[in-house]
Amino acid sequence: MKRIPSRWTHVQRVRYALAFLCLCLALGLGAMQITPVAGQSGRFSITGQVSDRQNQPVRKAEVRAHIAGLAEPLAVAESQEDGSWVLLLQAVPTEYLTVTIERRHFEVQTINLGVEELSLLEENATYSLGELTMERRISAGFWAATIIFLAVLLVIAFEKLHSTTAALAGLSAVFVVTFVGGAFLPDLYIFDFERALTYINWEVIFLVMGMMVIIAIIEGTGIFQWTAFQAYRLSRGRAWFLVLIMMAVTAVASALLDNFTTMLLMTPISLQIGLAMGINPLALIIPEVLASNVGGISTLIGTPTNILIGAYAGIGFTDFLVNQTAGVVLALVLAAGYVLFHYRHEWRKSGEGISLALYKRLEENARIERPEMLWKSGLVFVLVLVAFVVGERFHVVPAVTALVGATVLLIWVEPDVHQMIKAVDWTTLVFFMALFIVVGAVQEVGLISLLAGAMGRLIGENLALGVLVIVFGVGTLSTTIANIPIAASMLPVVQFLTGSIPGASSQVLYYALSMGAAMGGNGLLIGGEANLVTAGITERAGSPISFMEFLKVGLPVTYLTLAAGFLWLLLRFVVFN
Amino acid sequence: MATILCATRGGEASYPNQDLAIALAKERNADLLFIYVTDVQFLNRLASPVLVDMEAEMDRLGEFLLLMAKERAEKAGVKAETIVRRGVFRAALEEAAKAHEVSLIVLGSPAGETSITGQEYLENLAEDVWAYTGIETLLVHGGEIIAHHP
Repeated sequence: MKRIPSRWTHVQRVRYALAFLCLCLALGLGAMQITPVAGQSGRFSITGQVSDRQNQPVRKAEVRAHIAGLAEPLAVAESQEDGSWVLLLQAVPTEYLTVTIERRHFEVQTINLGVEELSLLEENATYSLGELTMERRISAGFWAATIIFLAVLLVIAFEKLHSTTAALAGLSAVFVVTFVGGAFLPDLYIFDFERALTYINWEVIFLVMGMMVIIAIIEGTGIFQWTAFQAYRLSRGRAWFLVLIMMAVTAVASALLDNFTTMLLMTPISLQIGLAMGINPLALIIPEVLASNVGGISTLIGTPTNILIGAYAGIGFTDFLVNQTAGVVLALVLAAGYVLFHYRHEWRKSGEGISLALYKRLEENARIERPEMLWKSGLVFVLVLVAFVVGERFHVVPAVTALVGATVLLIWVEPDVHQMIKAVDWTTLVFFMALFIVVGAVQEVGLISLLAGAMGRLIGENLALGVLVIVFGVGTLSTTIANIPIAASMLPVVQFLTGSIPGASSQVLYYALSMGAAMGGNGLLIGGEANLVTAGITERAGSPISFMEFLKVGLPVTYLTLAAGFLWLLLRFVVFN
Repeated sequence: MATILCATRGGEASYPNQDLAIALAKERNADLLFIYVTDVQFLNRLASPVLVDMEAEMDRLGEFLLLMAKERAEKAGVKAETIVRRGVFRAALEEAAKAHEVSLIVLGSPAGETSITGQEYLENLAEDVWAYTGIETLLVHGGEIIAHHP
């Protein structure tokens, strides 16, 4: 049997990879295109713009021009992305004209144009109704979407289902209510599938996907384990010094990759080091988890919530780095101080010293496995980071940079493409997409607007109070509820507050959201997936992390770091702005 | 020479159980075989991307933990070997017991309170392992025997 030359296999691999990435890009870009509204023709135009109480444009509202006695409208239009609409008429009625604006989940708005307005229209060929505010209507669909959203949050919080399954169940429930419930009770209608898709943030999906490929290649090199072992050697058996180095290493690694992957890699080797040193390994590992949740805040790619915030608000890699890093460093210093105090008895423990066999095993488990892959992937990764910074000047979105970086790595490093495709965790991407739609449902029916309005009334025009409420409010919520759904739900609220509070255009409230969501994850064991995965690993190594044990360290550190973050944002954006 | 199979997760809480297995090995003039079963089921409920070959990472962790157990045994003058297996704990344990023709199985009750490691589950497991393999099986916790089959 003739064997296919192996070189062909590599070429095919690269082609598959490129084809896959191109397909993804095309899908993403296709989805991002805005569907144009069908045009009309006419000599006279009536224009206007509709928004809700939070000054958010109302899209896809149906605008009709009527005159009494005629069943058919004279003209029909649909509001665009910015809420603007244009009614085109062939002729101007003589007495009066009624304009109605309808949109699901809003009260119908009716504007009557009298003789005076119509004569102006005839004279100028155009008449503007200006900016119109549509009032929200609490429909049956509102309650259905709200119940579904809360149910998804609870199911995720109590781990009754896998997060992805929970989000998909929520998404399915939204459509069942819309299409089945809506058939019997039209008021139950939430939104259609086409509308639901517009809530998916494709930039987030592609950035996460690109970074997954890059991280999957880098993690296979063993660099994290090697770094942890070098930290152990550097500490020369001084546990207090080791924990400080490990916290720093974990924080930096989390900022550059993501905190979940960092803890997957750091926990096993830290367990080995802790046990070998004769100290409670949790005295090393819990501080690492805390540092990983805080460290990720300083970059766009450090936490999933930062990716969400960055894509939503157009905050780039440099913005996060410049505006968050000092706060993160301050928070880490406070966290390290508390950790050193809390575990002070552990540092005094003196182990009998590690045996040669254990040392050799530790060294072997922490070796660089693929040096060539390490320098290649390291170089590409550095270039990707540089491209994140430089790309901002040329309006290159980070998702494109990450996809290009992933493609370069696939071509240069030549990993098994099938393995890499498997490394892309589709369950996470599906989770994001389903979550976006569930959050979109409550946005569509007006729940988020109500929340935004309530927060707006609470905060008023006080920027410092706004930062305080978001940092500590979101931080406290994130101690129990997964921070990704919280951040996704809070984004439209923060957008409203950013538009309504003087001085908030600096995006400070988005940074407050970033800090609150990530730091809050340190409060309880269930507060973040990095915490849970770490607990899972340590339990399987006979060193389980109890809920209370984590709380005793995590909760004080959470509020210390939230205070540090708040203080920094206050100084940076309010006091010295 | 007889072999005692001791299932352990390592960690400080399991040291008394390992010591009991070592004492039994001395008493019965048997060799010890420590087993660690890699299980990454806990990753299945998380939404974050698992981009790491966690089974390989956990295998390495298991090897290290068993090496520590082996050193304890050898320090006490008992010859010990280690094996790391993947998959369902019970199946891996039974397979290893048969493959190595062990005469006694010592199941260490792990620290922690998950549904998998609850007392009732472990007692049933010990009974099932004995019923399936016909090998004397002990369930130990904190260095004390809490169930003995037959």
